[in-house]
Amino acid sequence: MSQETIIVENLSKTYQVPEREGGFGAAVKSFFKRTYTDVKAVQQVNFRITQGEVVGFLGPNGAGKTTTLKMLAGLLHPTGGTANVLGFTPWQLKTDYLRSMTLVMGQRNRLAWDIPAADSFLLAQAIYRLPDDEYKKTYKELDELLELEPLMKKPVRNLSLGERMKCEIAAGLLHRPKVLFLDEPTIGLDITGQARIREFLREYNKRTGATILLTSHYMADVTALCERIIIIHHGQLKYDGSITDLSRRIAPFKLIGVQLGYSNGHDLSRYGEPVQNEEDAEKHYIQVKAEDVTRVTSRMLSELPIHDITIADPPIEDVIERAFNE
Amino acid sequence: MLKIFQRLWIVNWAEQWQYRANSLMYLLYWLVSPIVHVAVWTSIANANGSVNGLTANDFVNYYLLLLIVDQFTSNITIHIFAYKVQDGSLSGELVKPIHPMLTNTLITNIAFKTMMLIGFVPVWIFLAVIFKPDFASVTWQGVLLAVPAILLGFIVNFLLSGAVSSIAFWTTRVYSINEFYFALFVLFSGQFVPLQLMPKTIQAIAHYLPFQLQIYFPIQLIQNKLSPAEILQGFLIGFIWLGVVILLFKWVWREGVKRFSAVGA
Repeated sequence: MSQETIIVENLSKTYQVPEREGGFGAAVKSFFKRTYTDVKAVQQVNFRITQGEVVGFLGPNGAGKTTTLKMLAGLLHPTGGTANVLGFTPWQLKTDYLRSMTLVMGQRNRLAWDIPAADSFLLAQAIYRLPDDEYKKTYKELDELLELEPLMKKPVRNLSLGERMKCEIAAGLLHRPKVLFLDEPTIGLDITGQARIREFLREYNKRTGATILLTSHYMADVTALCERIIIIHHGQLKYDGSITDLSRRIAPFKLIGVQLGYSNGHDLSRYGEPVQNEEDAEKHYIQVKAEDVTRVTSRMLSELPIHDITIADPPIEDVIERAFNE
Repeated sequence: MLKIFQRLWIVNWAEQWQYRANSLMYLLYWLVSPIVHVAVWTSIANANGSVNGLTANDFVNYYLLLLIVDQFTSNITIHIFAYKVQDGSLSGELVKPIHPMLTNTLITNIAFKTMMLIGFVPVWIFLAVIFKPDFASVTWQGVLLAVPAILLGFIVNFLLSGAVSSIAFWTTRVYSINEFYFALFVLFSGQFVPLQLMPKTIQAIAHYLPFQLQIYFPIQLIQNKLSPAEILQGFLIGFIWLGVVILLFKWVWREGVKRFSAVGA
Protein backbone atom coordinates (compact mmCIF):
# COMPACT_ATOMS: atom_id res chain seq x y z
CA MET A 1 0.00 0.00 0.00
CA SER A 2 1.14 3.51 -0.64
CA GLN A 3 2.35 5.42 2.31
CA GLU A 4 1.93 9.02 3.30
CA THR A 5 5.34 10.66 3.09
CA ILE A 6 4.41 14.21 3.96
CA ILE A 7 1.74 15.15 6.45
CA VAL A 8 1.15 18.84 7.08
CA GLU A 9 -1.36 19.99 9.67
CA ASN A 10 -2.34 23.59 10.34
CA LEU A 11 1.14 24.71 9.44
CA SER A 12 1.60 28.44 9.99
CA LYS A 13 4.45 30.90 9.87
CA THR A 14 4.24 34.50 10.93
CA TYR A 15 7.25 36.72 10.42
CA GLN A 16 7.84 39.74 12.59
CA VAL A 17 9.13 42.46 10.39
CA PRO A 18 10.59 45.62 11.93
CA GLU A 19 8.92 48.70 10.57
CA ARG A 20 9.46 52.41 10.80
CA GLU A 21 8.61 55.59 8.96
CA GLY A 22 11.33 57.35 7.01
CA GLY A 23 13.19 60.35 8.42
CA PHE A 24 15.54 61.14 11.26
CA GLY A 25 12.95 61.43 14.03
CA ALA A 26 11.53 58.05 13.25
CA ALA A 27 15.01 56.55 13.13
CA VAL A 28 15.77 57.83 16.64
CA LYS A 29 12.42 56.65 17.92
CA SER A 30 12.88 53.19 16.44
CA PHE A 31 16.24 52.93 18.11
CA PHE A 32 14.53 52.95 21.49
CA LYS A 33 11.32 51.25 20.66
CA ARG A 34 11.04 49.06 17.64
CA THR A 35 7.66 48.41 16.19
CA TYR A 36 6.96 45.21 14.37
CA THR A 37 4.27 44.18 12.00
CA ASP A 38 3.20 40.60 11.70
CA VAL A 39 3.42 39.17 8.24
CA LYS A 40 1.39 36.00 7.96
CA ALA A 41 3.39 34.12 5.37
CA VAL A 42 1.65 30.80 5.80
CA GLN A 43 -1.68 30.30 7.53
CA GLN A 44 -3.17 27.02 8.67
CA VAL A 45 -2.10 24.97 5.70
CA ASN A 46 -3.10 21.31 5.53
CA PHE A 47 -2.16 18.64 3.03
CA ARG A 48 -0.91 15.08 2.72
CA ILE A 49 1.35 13.68 0.05
CA THR A 50 1.72 10.01 -0.74
CA GLN A 51 4.98 8.31 -1.57
CA GLY A 52 5.90 8.66 -5.23
CA GLU A 53 3.64 11.60 -5.93
CA VAL A 54 4.88 14.62 -7.87
CA VAL A 55 3.09 17.64 -6.52
CA GLY A 56 3.31 21.16 -7.90
CA PHE A 57 3.22 24.00 -5.48
CA LEU A 58 1.93 26.96 -7.33
CA GLY A 59 1.42 30.57 -6.43
CA PRO A 60 2.55 34.10 -7.16
CA ASN A 61 5.68 35.60 -5.60
CA GLY A 62 5.29 36.08 -1.89
CA ALA A 63 2.42 33.61 -1.65
CA GLY A 64 4.16 31.45 0.93
CA LYS A 65 5.41 28.63 -1.29
CA THR A 66 9.05 28.95 -0.41
CA THR A 67 8.30 29.48 3.27
CA THR A 68 6.30 26.24 3.34
CA LEU A 69 9.04 24.43 1.48
CA LYS A 70 11.69 25.72 3.88
CA MET A 71 9.68 24.53 6.86
CA LEU A 72 9.34 21.09 5.32
CA ALA A 73 13.07 21.00 4.63
CA GLY A 74 13.72 21.99 8.25
CA LEU A 75 15.23 25.41 7.64
CA LEU A 76 12.45 27.32 9.31
CA HIS A 77 10.61 26.76 12.54
CA PRO A 78 6.88 27.25 12.11
CA THR A 79 4.92 29.49 14.45
CA GLY A 80 2.10 26.97 14.54
CA GLY A 81 0.97 23.55 13.40
CA THR A 82 2.92 20.40 12.68
CA ALA A 83 4.64 18.69 9.82
CA ASN A 84 5.84 15.15 9.46
CA VAL A 85 8.08 14.04 6.63
CA LEU A 86 9.20 10.41 6.46
CA GLY A 87 8.33 10.14 10.14
CA PHE A 88 10.55 13.07 11.16
CA THR A 89 9.78 16.56 12.35
CA PRO A 90 11.85 18.43 9.79
CA TRP A 91 13.07 21.39 11.87
CA GLN A 92 14.72 19.10 14.39
CA LEU A 93 17.28 18.63 11.61
CA LYS A 94 17.97 15.02 12.55
CA THR A 95 20.90 13.56 10.64
CA ASP A 96 18.82 10.62 9.42
CA TYR A 97 16.26 13.03 8.05
CA LEU A 98 18.85 15.18 6.28
CA ARG A 99 20.28 12.07 4.68
CA SER A 100 16.98 11.03 3.15
CA MET A 101 15.78 14.30 1.67
CA THR A 102 17.13 17.04 -0.51
CA LEU A 103 16.39 20.70 -0.95
CA VAL A 104 17.38 22.40 -4.17
CA MET A 105 16.91 26.13 -4.12
CA GLY A 106 17.53 28.04 -7.32
CA GLN A 107 21.19 28.90 -7.49
CA ARG A 108 21.89 28.32 -3.89
CA ASN A 109 24.51 26.25 -3.85
CA ARG A 110 25.70 22.85 -3.09
CA LEU A 111 28.56 23.61 -5.40
CA ALA A 112 31.65 25.59 -4.46
CA TRP A 113 31.82 28.51 -6.84
CA ASP A 114 35.49 28.67 -7.76
CA ILE A 115 36.32 25.03 -8.35
CA PRO A 116 35.12 22.28 -10.66
CA ALA A 117 31.84 20.60 -9.75
CA ALA A 118 33.63 17.25 -9.62
CA ASP A 119 35.23 18.22 -6.29
CA SER A 120 31.90 19.22 -4.79
CA PHE A 121 30.43 15.92 -5.95
CA LEU A 122 33.18 13.97 -4.19
CA LEU A 123 32.58 16.03 -1.07
CA ALA A 124 28.90 15.11 -1.23
CA GLN A 125 29.89 11.46 -1.53
CA ALA A 126 31.84 11.75 1.73
CA ILE A 127 29.16 13.78 3.54
CA TYR A 128 26.42 11.29 2.70
CA ARG A 129 28.76 8.36 3.29
CA LEU A 130 28.14 6.76 -0.07
CA PRO A 131 30.21 3.68 -0.87
CA ASP A 132 32.25 4.05 -4.08
CA ASP A 133 30.26 1.59 -6.17
CA GLU A 134 26.92 3.07 -5.13
CA TYR A 135 28.18 6.59 -5.81
CA LYS A 136 29.48 5.63 -9.24
CA LYS A 137 26.22 3.96 -10.14
CA THR A 138 24.14 6.97 -9.17
CA TYR A 139 26.52 9.33 -10.90
CA LYS A 140 26.31 7.27 -14.09
CA GLU A 141 22.54 7.41 -14.01
CA LEU A 142 22.51 11.15 -13.46
CA ASP A 143 25.08 11.62 -16.20
CA GLU A 144 22.91 9.65 -18.60
CA LEU A 145 19.92 11.84 -17.90
CA LEU A 146 21.63 15.20 -17.60
CA GLU A 147 24.86 14.86 -19.59
CA LEU A 148 27.03 16.05 -16.76
CA GLU A 149 30.42 14.73 -17.81
CA PRO A 150 31.50 17.65 -20.02
CA LEU A 151 30.63 20.10 -17.21
CA MET A 152 32.42 18.37 -14.37
CA LYS A 153 35.92 19.72 -14.87
CA LYS A 154 35.16 23.41 -15.37
CA PRO A 155 35.05 25.79 -12.43
CA VAL A 156 31.41 26.24 -11.50
CA ARG A 157 31.53 29.97 -12.09
CA ASN A 158 32.38 29.36 -15.75
CA LEU A 159 29.23 27.31 -16.33
CA SER A 160 26.14 28.81 -17.88
CA LEU A 161 23.05 29.18 -15.74
CA GLY A 162 21.44 26.10 -17.25
CA GLU A 163 24.58 24.01 -16.87
CA ARG A 164 24.95 25.11 -13.27
CA MET A 165 21.36 24.24 -12.50
CA LYS A 166 21.87 20.74 -13.92
CA CYS A 167 24.90 20.28 -11.68
CA GLU A 168 23.08 21.72 -8.65
CA ILE A 169 20.19 19.31 -9.08
CA ALA A 170 22.51 16.35 -9.67
CA ALA A 171 24.57 17.26 -6.58
CA GLY A 172 21.37 17.27 -4.57
CA LEU A 173 20.42 13.81 -5.77
CA LEU A 174 23.66 11.85 -5.36
CA HIS A 175 22.45 10.39 -2.08
CA ARG A 176 19.22 9.16 -3.68
CA PRO A 177 16.88 11.09 -1.43
CA LYS A 178 13.40 9.73 -0.87
CA VAL A 179 11.90 13.21 -0.78
CA LEU A 180 12.83 16.09 -3.07
CA PHE A 181 11.97 19.70 -2.33
CA LEU A 182 12.67 21.78 -5.37
CA ASP A 183 12.29 25.54 -5.23
CA GLU A 184 11.92 26.97 -8.72
CA PRO A 185 14.10 24.33 -10.38
CA THR A 186 13.75 25.89 -13.82
CA ILE A 187 14.04 29.57 -12.94
CA GLY A 188 16.10 31.58 -15.39
CA LEU A 189 16.43 28.74 -17.87
CA ASP A 190 15.50 28.95 -21.53
CA ILE A 191 12.71 26.81 -22.94
CA THR A 192 14.96 23.88 -23.87
CA GLY A 193 16.68 24.00 -20.50
CA GLN A 194 13.34 23.99 -18.71
CA ALA A 195 12.13 21.06 -20.77
CA ARG A 196 15.26 19.04 -20.01
CA ILE A 197 14.97 19.52 -16.28
CA ARG A 198 11.29 18.57 -16.39
CA GLU A 199 12.03 15.50 -18.47
CA PHE A 200 14.74 14.53 -16.03
CA LEU A 201 12.55 14.93 -12.95
CA ARG A 202 9.80 12.85 -14.51
CA GLU A 203 12.27 10.09 -15.32
CA TYR A 204 13.88 10.27 -11.89
CA ASN A 205 10.52 9.94 -10.20
CA LYS A 206 9.64 6.94 -12.37
CA ARG A 207 12.94 5.20 -11.67
CA THR A 208 13.23 5.79 -7.96
CA GLY A 209 9.69 6.30 -6.75
CA ALA A 210 10.79 9.41 -4.90
CA THR A 211 8.26 11.94 -3.68
CA ILE A 212 8.69 15.32 -5.29
CA LEU A 213 7.29 18.64 -4.16
CA LEU A 214 8.25 21.51 -6.38
CA THR A 215 7.38 25.17 -6.43
CA SER A 216 7.20 27.18 -9.55
CA HIS A 217 5.57 30.16 -10.94
CA TYR A 218 5.76 28.76 -14.43
CA MET A 219 2.46 27.10 -15.17
CA ALA A 220 4.24 24.96 -17.77
CA ASP A 221 6.51 23.33 -15.18
CA VAL A 222 3.58 22.18 -13.24
CA THR A 223 1.37 21.05 -16.09
CA ALA A 224 4.22 19.02 -17.55
CA LEU A 225 5.17 17.24 -14.37
CA CYS A 226 2.46 17.09 -11.81
CA GLU A 227 -0.90 15.47 -11.76
CA ARG A 228 -1.66 17.13 -8.52
CA ILE A 229 -1.44 20.81 -7.79
CA ILE A 230 -1.55 22.78 -4.60
CA ILE A 231 -2.18 26.46 -4.99
CA ILE A 232 -1.26 28.83 -2.24
CA HIS A 233 -2.07 32.51 -2.24
CA HIS A 234 -1.62 35.08 0.52
CA GLY A 235 -0.40 32.24 2.71
CA GLN A 236 -3.59 30.26 2.39
CA LEU A 237 -4.30 27.03 0.62
CA LYS A 238 -6.62 27.84 -2.25
CA TYR A 239 -6.72 24.65 -4.18
CA ASP A 240 -5.55 21.08 -3.81
CA GLY A 241 -6.49 18.70 -6.54
CA SER A 242 -5.88 17.45 -10.04
CA ILE A 243 -4.67 19.65 -12.78
CA THR A 244 -7.59 18.76 -15.04
CA ASP A 245 -10.10 20.03 -12.51
CA LEU A 246 -8.09 23.19 -12.18
CA SER A 247 -8.00 23.96 -15.86
CA ARG A 248 -11.74 23.58 -15.95
CA ARG A 249 -11.93 26.21 -13.24
CA ILE A 250 -9.54 28.60 -14.81
CA ALA A 251 -10.93 29.90 -18.01
CA PRO A 252 -8.05 29.72 -20.44
CA PHE A 253 -6.97 33.15 -21.58
CA LYS A 254 -4.12 34.43 -23.71
CA LEU A 255 -2.45 37.79 -23.78
CA ILE A 256 -1.95 39.45 -27.12
CA GLY A 257 0.57 42.28 -27.17
CA VAL A 258 0.93 44.58 -30.14
CA GLN A 259 3.27 47.40 -31.06
CA LEU A 260 1.57 49.79 -33.38
CA GLY A 261 3.21 51.64 -36.22
CA TYR A 262 1.85 55.10 -35.47
CA SER A 263 -0.35 57.08 -33.09
CA ASN A 264 -2.10 55.41 -30.23
CA GLY A 265 -5.54 56.40 -31.32
CA HIS A 266 -6.66 52.83 -31.92
CA ASP A 267 -9.35 51.41 -29.79
CA LEU A 268 -8.23 47.90 -28.96
CA SER A 269 -11.19 47.14 -26.77
CA ARG A 270 -13.14 45.96 -29.75
CA TYR A 271 -10.74 43.00 -30.02
CA GLY A 272 -10.56 42.02 -26.39
CA GLU A 273 -10.23 43.29 -22.82
CA PRO A 274 -7.33 45.80 -22.61
CA VAL A 275 -4.91 45.10 -19.74
CA GLN A 276 -1.98 46.98 -18.22
CA ASN A 277 1.50 45.59 -18.51
CA GLU A 278 4.11 47.57 -16.62
CA GLU A 279 7.05 45.51 -17.78
CA ASP A 280 6.55 46.43 -21.39
CA ALA A 281 5.20 49.92 -21.87
CA GLU A 282 5.94 49.87 -25.61
CA LYS A 283 3.14 47.46 -26.27
CA HIS A 284 -0.59 47.46 -25.83
CA TYR A 285 -2.06 44.32 -24.38
CA ILE A 286 -5.42 42.72 -24.62
CA GLN A 287 -6.73 39.56 -23.08
CA VAL A 288 -8.80 37.14 -25.12
CA LYS A 289 -10.17 33.64 -24.67
CA ALA A 290 -7.72 31.00 -25.86
CA GLU A 291 -10.12 29.62 -28.44
CA ASP A 292 -10.48 33.07 -30.03
CA VAL A 293 -6.77 33.79 -30.38
CA THR A 294 -6.40 32.81 -34.03
CA ARG A 295 -9.49 34.68 -35.13
CA VAL A 296 -8.64 37.84 -33.19
CA THR A 297 -5.00 38.01 -34.26
CA SER A 298 -5.77 37.62 -37.93
CA ARG A 299 -8.39 40.36 -37.64
CA MET A 300 -5.91 42.62 -35.89
CA LEU A 301 -3.18 41.93 -38.40
CA SER A 302 -5.40 42.89 -41.29
CA GLU A 303 -6.95 45.95 -39.65
CA LEU A 304 -4.09 47.55 -37.68
CA PRO A 305 -0.61 48.87 -38.58
CA ILE A 306 1.17 46.26 -36.49
CA HIS A 307 4.97 46.29 -36.12
CA ASP A 308 5.25 43.49 -33.64
CA ILE A 309 2.87 41.02 -32.09
CA THR A 310 3.24 38.53 -29.27
CA ILE A 311 0.92 35.93 -27.83
CA ALA A 312 1.59 34.66 -24.33
CA ASP A 313 0.03 33.09 -21.29
CA PRO A 314 -1.10 35.59 -18.71
CA PRO A 315 1.10 35.71 -15.59
CA ILE A 316 0.20 33.11 -13.03
CA GLU A 317 -0.64 35.89 -10.55
CA ASP A 318 -3.46 37.07 -12.77
CA VAL A 319 -4.71 33.57 -13.38
CA ILE A 320 -4.93 32.84 -9.70
CA GLU A 321 -6.43 36.21 -8.85
CA ARG A 322 -9.05 35.57 -11.48
CA ALA A 323 -9.81 32.02 -10.38
CA PHE A 324 -9.99 32.55 -6.66
CA ASN A 325 -10.74 36.16 -5.91
CA GLU A 326 -13.86 36.59 -7.94
CA MET B 1 34.37 11.37 9.22
CA LEU B 2 38.03 11.47 8.21
CA LYS B 3 36.98 11.26 4.58
CA ILE B 4 34.64 14.22 5.05
CA PHE B 5 37.46 16.33 6.45
CA GLN B 6 39.79 15.18 3.72
CA ARG B 7 37.37 16.15 0.93
CA LEU B 8 36.45 19.38 2.68
CA TRP B 9 40.14 20.12 2.70
CA ILE B 10 40.43 19.52 -1.06
CA VAL B 11 37.56 21.91 -1.76
CA ASN B 12 38.70 24.57 0.70
CA TRP B 13 42.32 24.39 -0.32
CA ALA B 14 41.39 24.79 -3.98
CA GLU B 15 39.31 27.81 -3.05
CA GLN B 16 42.10 29.36 -1.00
CA TRP B 17 44.42 28.84 -3.91
CA GLN B 18 42.04 30.90 -6.04
CA TYR B 19 42.38 33.74 -3.58
CA ARG B 20 46.09 33.50 -2.86
CA ALA B 21 46.81 37.12 -3.80
CA ASN B 22 44.08 38.19 -1.42
CA SER B 23 45.61 36.09 1.36
CA LEU B 24 49.03 37.61 0.80
CA MET B 25 47.59 41.10 1.11
CA TYR B 26 45.94 40.06 4.35
CA LEU B 27 49.24 38.65 5.57
CA LEU B 28 51.03 41.96 4.96
CA TYR B 29 48.27 43.85 6.76
CA TRP B 30 48.43 41.45 9.70
CA LEU B 31 52.24 41.80 9.94
CA VAL B 32 52.29 45.58 10.16
CA SER B 33 51.26 46.07 13.77
CA PRO B 34 53.70 43.60 15.40
CA ILE B 35 56.58 44.93 13.29
CA VAL B 36 55.82 48.50 14.28
CA HIS B 37 55.65 47.40 17.91
CA VAL B 38 59.04 45.68 17.77
CA ALA B 39 60.59 48.77 16.22
CA VAL B 40 59.06 51.18 18.75
CA TRP B 41 59.68 49.13 21.89
CA THR B 42 63.23 48.15 21.00
CA SER B 43 64.21 51.75 20.43
CA ILE B 44 62.66 52.78 23.76
CA ALA B 45 64.36 49.87 25.55
CA ASN B 46 67.68 50.67 23.88
CA ALA B 47 67.45 54.30 24.98
CA ASN B 48 66.49 53.46 28.58
CA GLY B 49 68.37 50.17 29.02
CA SER B 50 65.02 48.44 29.68
CA VAL B 51 61.27 49.02 30.06
CA ASN B 52 59.75 47.56 33.21
CA GLY B 53 62.58 45.05 33.25
CA LEU B 54 62.15 44.07 29.59
CA THR B 55 65.24 44.53 27.43
CA ALA B 56 65.29 45.26 23.71
CA ASN B 57 65.96 41.59 23.08
CA ASP B 58 62.94 40.61 25.20
CA PHE B 59 60.72 42.68 22.94
CA VAL B 60 62.17 41.26 19.73
CA ASN B 61 61.76 37.81 21.19
CA TYR B 62 58.19 38.46 22.26
CA TYR B 63 56.93 39.82 18.97
CA LEU B 64 58.69 37.27 16.79
CA LEU B 65 57.21 34.47 18.90
CA LEU B 66 53.86 36.25 18.84
CA LEU B 67 53.85 36.11 15.04
CA ILE B 68 54.27 32.34 15.17
CA VAL B 69 51.79 31.69 17.98
CA ASP B 70 49.15 33.99 16.53
CA GLN B 71 49.56 32.34 13.15
CA PHE B 72 48.46 29.05 14.71
CA THR B 73 45.87 30.14 17.27
CA SER B 74 43.98 32.86 15.39
CA ASN B 75 40.85 32.19 13.36
CA ILE B 76 38.77 34.03 10.79
CA THR B 77 35.47 32.41 11.69
CA ILE B 78 33.59 35.68 12.04
CA HIS B 79 34.61 36.75 8.56
CA ILE B 80 33.73 33.40 7.03
CA PHE B 81 30.56 32.63 8.85
CA ALA B 82 28.57 35.79 9.44
CA TYR B 83 28.04 36.60 5.78
CA LYS B 84 26.68 33.12 5.18
CA VAL B 85 23.93 33.90 7.65
CA GLN B 86 23.48 37.36 6.20
CA ASP B 87 23.03 36.32 2.57
CA GLY B 88 21.28 33.04 3.37
CA SER B 89 23.88 30.76 1.79
CA LEU B 90 24.05 28.92 5.10
CA SER B 91 20.73 27.31 4.09
CA GLY B 92 22.56 25.04 1.68
CA GLU B 93 24.86 23.87 4.47
CA LEU B 94 22.21 23.44 7.14
CA VAL B 95 20.31 20.86 5.09
CA LYS B 96 23.40 18.66 4.83
CA PRO B 97 23.96 16.04 7.51
CA ILE B 98 27.13 17.64 8.89
CA HIS B 99 27.67 20.52 11.31
CA PRO B 100 28.46 23.61 9.20
CA MET B 101 30.66 25.26 11.83
CA LEU B 102 32.54 22.25 13.18
CA THR B 103 33.34 20.84 9.75
CA ASN B 104 33.33 23.30 6.88
CA THR B 105 34.16 26.51 8.76
CA LEU B 106 36.87 24.73 10.72
CA ILE B 107 38.51 23.42 7.57
CA THR B 108 38.22 26.81 5.86
CA ASN B 109 40.17 28.25 8.80
CA ILE B 110 42.86 25.61 8.50
CA ALA B 111 43.14 26.02 4.73
CA PHE B 112 43.45 29.77 5.18
CA LYS B 113 46.19 29.32 7.79
CA THR B 114 48.11 26.94 5.56
CA MET B 115 47.94 29.40 2.69
CA MET B 116 49.17 32.17 5.00
CA LEU B 117 51.99 29.98 6.23
CA ILE B 118 53.47 29.80 2.74
CA GLY B 119 53.96 33.56 2.73
CA PHE B 120 54.68 33.77 6.41
CA VAL B 121 57.77 31.56 6.65
CA PRO B 122 60.07 33.63 4.39
CA VAL B 123 58.82 36.87 5.93
CA TRP B 124 59.54 35.58 9.42
CA ILE B 125 63.06 34.50 8.48
CA PHE B 126 63.64 37.91 6.94
CA LEU B 127 62.48 39.62 10.15
CA ALA B 128 64.69 37.33 12.26
CA VAL B 129 67.68 38.30 10.12
CA ILE B 130 66.93 42.00 10.54
CA PHE B 131 66.15 42.05 14.28
CA LYS B 132 68.64 39.30 15.28
CA PRO B 133 66.77 37.95 18.31
CA ASP B 134 68.65 35.99 20.97
CA PHE B 135 66.48 32.98 21.74
CA ALA B 136 68.70 31.80 24.62
CA SER B 137 65.76 31.44 27.02
CA VAL B 138 63.82 29.16 24.63
CA THR B 139 64.14 25.46 25.48
CA TRP B 140 62.77 22.26 23.99
CA GLN B 141 60.64 21.63 27.07
CA GLY B 142 59.10 25.07 26.66
CA VAL B 143 58.32 24.51 23.00
CA LEU B 144 56.86 21.06 23.70
CA LEU B 145 54.61 22.48 26.42
CA ALA B 146 53.53 25.25 24.09
CA VAL B 147 52.18 22.78 21.50
CA PRO B 148 49.17 21.63 23.56
CA ALA B 149 48.74 25.19 24.83
CA ILE B 150 48.55 26.50 21.25
CA LEU B 151 46.06 23.80 20.34
CA LEU B 152 43.98 24.64 23.40
CA GLY B 153 44.20 28.34 22.56
CA PHE B 154 43.01 27.68 19.04
CA ILE B 155 40.07 25.49 20.04
CA VAL B 156 38.86 27.81 22.80
CA ASN B 157 39.04 30.88 20.60
CA PHE B 158 37.58 29.11 17.59
CA LEU B 159 34.52 28.08 19.59
CA LEU B 160 34.25 31.50 21.18
CA SER B 161 34.40 33.16 17.76
CA GLY B 162 31.88 30.58 16.60
CA ALA B 163 29.51 31.65 19.37
CA VAL B 164 30.08 35.33 18.61
CA SER B 165 29.45 34.78 14.87
CA SER B 166 26.30 32.85 15.70
CA ILE B 167 24.88 36.07 17.12
CA ALA B 168 24.27 36.77 13.43
CA PHE B 169 21.29 34.43 13.74
CA TRP B 170 19.62 37.11 15.85
CA THR B 171 21.03 40.34 14.50
CA THR B 172 22.01 39.33 10.93
CA ARG B 173 24.97 41.69 11.15
CA VAL B 174 27.74 41.02 13.64
CA TYR B 175 30.48 43.37 12.55
CA SER B 176 30.07 45.83 15.43
CA ILE B 177 29.91 42.97 17.92
CA ASN B 178 33.04 41.65 16.30
CA GLU B 179 34.77 45.01 16.77
CA PHE B 180 33.94 44.85 20.46
CA TYR B 181 35.16 41.27 20.70
CA PHE B 182 38.37 42.22 18.94
CA ALA B 183 38.91 45.17 21.30
CA LEU B 184 38.68 42.82 24.29
CA PHE B 185 41.04 40.46 22.55
CA VAL B 186 43.64 43.15 21.85
CA LEU B 187 43.49 44.41 25.42
CA PHE B 188 43.60 41.08 27.24
CA SER B 189 45.52 38.70 24.97
CA GLY B 190 48.93 40.35 24.86
CA GLN B 191 48.50 41.12 21.17
CA PHE B 192 49.55 44.75 21.45
CA VAL B 193 52.04 44.71 24.30
CA PRO B 194 53.30 41.99 26.63
CA LEU B 195 50.78 41.80 29.46
CA GLN B 196 53.39 42.54 32.13
CA LEU B 197 53.46 46.14 30.84
CA MET B 198 49.75 46.52 31.57
CA PRO B 199 48.42 47.95 34.84
CA LYS B 200 48.24 45.31 37.60
CA THR B 201 44.42 45.20 37.57
CA ILE B 202 44.26 44.52 33.86
CA GLN B 203 46.90 41.82 34.20
CA ALA B 204 44.88 40.17 36.94
CA ILE B 205 41.71 40.23 34.88
CA ALA B 206 43.51 39.05 31.74
CA HIS B 207 44.89 36.09 33.63
CA TYR B 208 41.43 34.61 34.08
CA LEU B 209 40.05 35.44 30.62
CA PRO B 210 40.29 33.15 27.59
CA PHE B 211 42.05 35.67 25.33
CA GLN B 212 45.53 35.22 26.81
CA LEU B 213 45.33 31.52 25.93
CA GLN B 214 45.67 32.54 22.32
CA ILE B 215 48.83 34.69 22.68
CA TYR B 216 50.35 35.39 26.04
CA PHE B 217 50.23 32.00 27.72
CA PRO B 218 51.89 30.04 24.87
CA ILE B 219 54.59 32.72 24.50
CA GLN B 220 55.36 32.58 28.20
CA LEU B 221 55.67 28.81 27.94
CA ILE B 222 58.06 29.00 25.00
CA GLN B 223 60.15 31.60 26.82
CA ASN B 224 60.31 29.47 29.99
CA LYS B 225 58.96 32.28 32.13
CA LEU B 226 56.55 30.21 34.23
CA SER B 227 57.02 28.07 37.34
CA PRO B 228 55.53 24.54 37.29
CA ALA B 229 52.67 25.76 39.50
CA GLU B 230 51.94 28.63 37.10
CA ILE B 231 52.03 26.26 34.13
CA LEU B 232 49.55 23.95 35.83
CA GLN B 233 47.29 26.85 36.69
CA GLY B 234 47.49 28.14 33.13
CA PHE B 235 46.37 24.82 31.66
CA LEU B 236 43.68 24.48 34.31
CA ILE B 237 42.23 27.86 33.37
CA GLY B 238 42.44 26.80 29.73
CA PHE B 239 40.52 23.59 30.28
CA ILE B 240 37.86 25.33 32.35
CA TRP B 241 37.38 27.79 29.50
CA LEU B 242 37.25 24.90 27.06
CA GLY B 243 34.31 23.45 29.00
CA VAL B 244 32.61 26.83 29.21
CA VAL B 245 32.94 27.65 25.51
CA ILE B 246 31.76 24.18 24.45
CA LEU B 247 28.55 24.67 26.45
CA LEU B 248 28.20 28.28 25.30
CA PHE B 249 28.70 27.40 21.66
CA LYS B 250 26.26 24.49 21.78
CA TRP B 251 23.58 26.63 23.34
CA VAL B 252 24.02 29.66 21.09
CA TRP B 253 24.08 27.42 18.02
CA ARG B 254 20.95 25.51 18.95
CA GLU B 255 18.95 28.61 19.77
CA GLY B 256 20.37 30.48 16.78
CA VAL B 257 19.45 27.87 14.21
CA LYS B 258 15.89 27.94 15.57
CA ARG B 259 15.77 31.61 14.83
CA PHE B 260 17.45 31.44 11.48
CA SER B 261 14.99 32.84 9.03
CA ALA B 262 16.91 31.66 5.98
CA VAL B 263 17.32 35.18 4.65
CA GLY B 264 17.09 35.86 0.97
CA ALA B 265 17.07 32.46 -0.68
